[in-house]
Amino acid sequence: MGESLLQVPLTIDTSRKIIHVDMDAFYASIEERDHPEFRTHPLIIAKDPRTTGGHGVVTTANYAARKLGVHSAMSAAEAQKLAPKATFKTPDFTTYRAVSAQIHKIFHEYTDHIEPIAFDEAYLDVTNNKQHIDSAVALAHKLQAEIWETVHLTCSTGISYNKFLAKLASDYAKPVGVTVILPGDAERFLAPLSIEKFRGVGKKTVPKMQALGITDGAALLKHSEADLMQHFGKLGYGLYRHVRGSDDRPVEWQRERKSIGREETYDTPLTSEADAETQLQLLATELVDHLMKQQRHGQTIVLKVRDAEFNTLTKRVTQTEYYENDAAILYEAAKDIFDETADLNAGIRLLGITMTNLAPLGFENLSLPLWTPVSDRAF
Amino acid sequence: MKFTVNRQSFIKKLNDVSRAISTKTTIPILTGLKLVVTDNEITFTGSDTDISIETTLRANDDNAELTVEEPGNIVLPARFFSEIVKRLPEATMTIAVKEGFQANITSGAAAFTINGLDANNYPHLPEIESNDEVTLAGDVFRDIINTTVIAVSNQESRPILTGVHFTLAGDEFTAVATDSHRLSQRKVTLPNPASETHDVIIPGKSLVELSRMIGEEQQDVKMRLAENQVLFMLGDTAFYSRLLEGNYPDTSRLIPSESETTMEISAPALLAAIERASLLSHESRNNVVKLTLSDTATDATATIFGNSPDVGAVEENLSTLALDGNDLEISFNPDYLKDALRSFGQSQIKLSFTSALRPFTLVPSEDGENFIQLITPVRTF
Repeated sequence: MGESLLQVPLTIDTSRKIIHVDMDAFYASIEERDHPEFRTHPLIIAKDPRTTGGHGVVTTANYAARKLGVHSAMSAAEAQKLAPKATFKTPDFTTYRAVSAQIHKIFHEYTDHIEPIAFDEAYLDVTNNKQHIDSAVALAHKLQAEIWETVHLTCSTGISYNKFLAKLASDYAKPVGVTVILPGDAERFLAPLSIEKFRGVGKKTVPKMQALGITDGAALLKHSEADLMQHFGKLGYGLYRHVRGSDDRPVEWQRERKSIGREETYDTPLTSEADAETQLQLLATELVDHLMKQQRHGQTIVLKVRDAEFNTLTKRVTQTEYYENDAAILYEAAKDIFDETADLNAGIRLLGITMTNLAPLGFENLSLPLWTPVSDRAF
Repeated sequence: MKFTVNRQSFIKKLNDVSRAISTKTTIPILTGLKLVVTDNEITFTGSDTDISIETTLRANDDNAELTVEEPGNIVLPARFFSEIVKRLPEATMTIAVKEGFQANITSGAAAFTINGLDANNYPHLPEIESNDEVTLAGDVFRDIINTTVIAVSNQESRPILTGVHFTLAGDEFTAVATDSHRLSQRKVTLPNPASETHDVIIPGKSLVELSRMIGEEQQDVKMRLAENQVLFMLGDTAFYSRLLEGNYPDTSRLIPSESETTMEISAPALLAAIERASLLSHESRNNVVKLTLSDTATDATATIFGNSPDVGAVEENLSTLALDGNDLEISFNPDYLKDALRSFGQSQIKLSFTSALRPFTLVPSEDGENFIQLITPVRTF
């Protein structure tokens, strides 16, 4: 297990001020806000398993339901057993997206350096913020208050000098918390932290960690860089740094979207060619709207098909030219893949079309007007 | 059927027809090679339905060392057969088919028995009756193909653009290809005018194979056209291709007749600069390079820019031979320009621009009439 030949210097940059904002039980809180009758008892955001024949998973739940052991990603049927009196509410992503946009507007009053993780979660780099607030803690309190006043929802914020610590901090006191991890406090904060709280340590890694006797931050700190890299590769490299409070990942505020897609689940599985065609046309049309709104076009089209037995199949086709943002063209491309791969006999529960390998529409290779008369407008 | 033949001569013919044989075919027998043996020759046939090739090895060719003991015919699995023949130990080999379509291949101490198929089940190649035969020098025709086929589309969504459009009127033979982002046009004057006018679209894939077959040999290529097929005769070899159906767009109107800015430069010098710039543009999501042309009273400069947000940037002043006209900044896909430039070899070329959003053209400085490459720019913001 000798020493690594390469000694990568470990630097800890404490000059940044990063806030991780995490909305408290976001979807459930929106529902409670809009439906006061939901507030007093368990609310589960999922399709009611009694109407779906037991299918579906929990998107999230309010704090009352969480106390009964309900958590996101568990099956709706299981959640119903734990909380038989709970109300099930079908998720309304249109509303959630709109509320998320309102919150982002508030973020932008402070900084444009925002990295959205989900509708309810984002990193903000407030080192040089628009309001020239020097104290990140004061800024976080102000932000929380403003979000409350605008959308009547609470959030928890974590403040530190890097993303890894900021995220752990926001999780530390929920709901409505403000937690700061100062440069000198990082190791003390991390030492008692259970190993699965570390970024990248998931279900598969936990048993390997336990086999090495690594159950918390303190144990992780004892292992050499070479040792961790030998067992966990790139993850080990990151963990060695994280547990020492080092994480130089920037807040990726200009991150390009990797893909844009639309998908739809059908309660009654599709069994006819005509139904599938109609749905694909619908998805292609919505997808084009979305691509145009984001001013993107892509080179790769991905079709996703899930049958009634929950077998999910995705297949992609890449072309050298960008697909034109034309519903008919995307439909044709999706239909070609569909004809090749999908089996209607099994019944189709979900269809999705996604474009990836995106590029800004601002760049467009002009086409010769081969099929239309030349006019001045053509170029 | 039984014959003995020189292996190298046989392999040469086998390689020629193998160009048309695909392992991915919907008609199983077409994965095979058809051999028809008569008293004094062997005819080889291969086809994938789009392309069919037929060639003959004659006994009177001394190198062939062909002796036929018994005429006959057979279809043999092309891939195996050709692998076997290429690895046999001796200079000659003997192939004999006795019964049940089994072929015995012997050479020195090696003896293979492979299963074949009944040649009577092999599809017939089309008969192309045509009095109008066009003869072109092999090297000229190969050059026409290689300079136009670069512009054919590889998108099956518009099948007609996957071919090269040939028109023949009097002594003027024209080839055009476009994928709608670029266009290549080549004209040749025939020594003997054709009696009929022709207008056909030949699949680009067929032409690529044909051009490889023409190779470096200087022999003439004879072309015969029929309703939906074209036949090219190269010595003892017949190359059939299907034609693409439909009307090719009228491309003549797309070639600009005037320009605002012109630049003359050596094609290989520009190619080298574009290749350098595309090292970076290829790393970017938008594969684009920018060219700025500026012609002031004291100085004329042409500069190429390429960049990748992740890697870095490149800037290079071109050494032009002439630069005249309005200042211009134009962006384009460097790969299109690279393909076009390669088709000019070592020559000196003239580029003509109208504006940033209009196609620009490349022609040889010496002959602007008969060869033109056109490229559409990329609109940025």
